[in-house]
Amino acid sequence: MSRRRHSLIEGMRDVSPILIGVVPFGLVAGAAVVQVGFGLPEALGMSFIVCAGASQIVATTLFGDGAPLWLALGTALVVNTRMFIYSASIAPVLSHASARLRPVLGHMLVDQNYVTTMTRGRFREDVDVIPYYVGAWVALSGTWQVSNIAGALLGPMVPPSWGLDFAVPLVFLAMLAPTLKGTTSVTVAIVTGVASALLVPTLPMQTGLLVAIIAGIAFGAWRDGRPVEEAA
Amino acid sequence: MTPRALFWSLIAALAVGTWAMRSLPIMAHGRVPHPPWLERLLRHVPVAALTALVVPGSLFVKSGDAWAAAPARTIAAVLAAAVALRTKNTALTLAVGMAALWAGQAALSAF
Repeated sequence: MSRRRHSLIEGMRDVSPILIGVVPFGLVAGAAVVQVGFGLPEALGMSFIVCAGASQIVATTLFGDGAPLWLALGTALVVNTRMFIYSASIAPVLSHASARLRPVLGHMLVDQNYVTTMTRGRFREDVDVIPYYVGAWVALSGTWQVSNIAGALLGPMVPPSWGLDFAVPLVFLAMLAPTLKGTTSVTVAIVTGVASALLVPTLPMQTGLLVAIIAGIAFGAWRDGRPVEEAA
Repeated sequence: MTPRALFWSLIAALAVGTWAMRSLPIMAHGRVPHPPWLERLLRHVPVAALTALVVPGSLFVKSGDAWAAAPARTIAAVLAAAVALRTKNTALTLAVGMAALWAGQAALSAF
């Protein structure tokens, strides 16, 4: 087997344990598009062209709740700003890629691919990191597209009385839990939680979500900048 | 514009914006300026965004433009949070949360 092919397969293999966690999230994202009144093409547009789960759900539900376009877009983009830092931090690892390949590698930068490549792939002597990264994305993206399609097809069959919309906060909760490390992140979560509970139902035009997120980010940056005796 | 066309323009704009944030530093070989203050701000994005997406949906249900307290959802979310913190397992969190919601709804409607 060529080294490139081996690397590709190893990338797929290293993300395989986390693929199962992607499925419920994809189902929810696909179902959300149908719930606001669109169909499979729009669900695929979101999952394939955007390919960033949290922002897909945010944009879709805000749009469905009647938010103006700029707000649905702005809130979803704020959710994705983390990818800018991922991109800056993974750039040296992918520096052997040709200029033509780099815009494509950028599109492949999803949370799980970033984490797997940065924590495992780049340290492995037996793989080339670029095909490894591509392989990880192929597995993740394949799972993502299929689960989004399944969500769009199966979502409408679930009766509203089951309260399936509650699956949205639940999948975000499952994603939130591993990020709560250290007192700073816990206090950011508390401040953002209180702000969102107060602002999301009250601020006009669905602006509450964006304001609460920005308040939480600003609080975290302020807390980091404050001189404290014990570093969190 | 029809709602469908509007939604497609949202998809397109979100795709372009997201692609730009993902790709520009890689394309520029990591030479896009990302000063420490920006990194410090963006480090908090995941926790803040996810919390703001969890909390309102765990406290309220929305029907039309009205928000109402949803005790069954709140209890279910607390149970699911305990599972999420302990196991870090998405499918299990989802299963426990939904099962708790259905149990809670059945219990509340029995009174």
